Amino acid sequence: MNASVGQKLPELKRVVTAADVAAYAEAGGDRNPLHLDDAFARSVGFDGVIAHGMFTMGHMATAVMAWAGADAVVERISAQFRAPVSMGEEIRAGGTVRAVDGDSVTVDAWVAVDRGGTTEWPIKKGVVVVSTSRVSEPRPIP
Amino acid sequence: MNPAAEGTVYPDVPFTVDPQRVAAFGDVFGSTGGVPPTFVTAAEFTVFPLVIGDPNLGLDFTRVLHGSQEYTYERPLREGETLVVRARIDSIRHKRNTGFLTVVMELRDEADQLVCTARSQMVEQAP
Repeated sequence: MNASVGQKLPELKRVVTAADVAAYAEAGGDRNPLHLDDAFARSVGFDGVIAHGMFTMGHMATAVMAWAGADAVVERISAQFRAPVSMGEEIRAGGTVRAVDGDSVTVDAWVAVDRGGTTEWPIKKGVVVVSTSRVSEPRPIP
Repeated sequence: MNPAAEGTVYPDVPFTVDPQRVAAFGDVFGSTGGVPPTFVTAAEFTVFPLVIGDPNLGLDFTRVLHGSQEYTYERPLREGETLVVRARIDSIRHKRNTGFLTVVMELRDEADQLVCTARSQMVEQAP
């Protein structure tokens, strides 16, 4: 990881599908019907099911770790969930290097979604602190 | 929610870092090597039934949204290891009719060393 302060990470995009969210619900163990059952989601005021906050955070983590490389480990990761994400929407994850302290790199990370010309931020002020002892090249996401 | 439930410590719950479940995470997010940084959520959801089902707390999970999440690692999780998860209610706050619940979970390994601290804020919306 060749990190310098102000460096921007490559953006990572994905379209959120009900199948992906259902697969995440099984893997993560959060089977709240808000994420799986359209009728329930409508009954509590949404237009349909929404992605888990942890789905957007997992995507953010992947964007940072893909950039950081296989040698990097996470020291800290945090996010505040600000906006729901609906099925069929494209989310973009990215970040900017805020600090480099020896082997430890702090990234200000985010997840954005573009809605009719307006950018909204399911995660606006995420933080990922990664640590590595040697340089490695970014790898593609399988 | 009952504000007096603040400080509650729940019984230890074992959590095994199941390689198949790690792989399922990788299938969803793309594998970047090792156990994904947010995989600890699976440990949290192993323990949440204790919190959700605590009659003294009185949380209505059908009105809960996830407010924020933080994981602090002492070391990465290792596939196949069994950790012990201990949850406590760190704080309960109310603003008007909205409740804010912060649950902190510590994951310790077989040597009783701290591996990860998970801090989760849940927002219980007004009925």
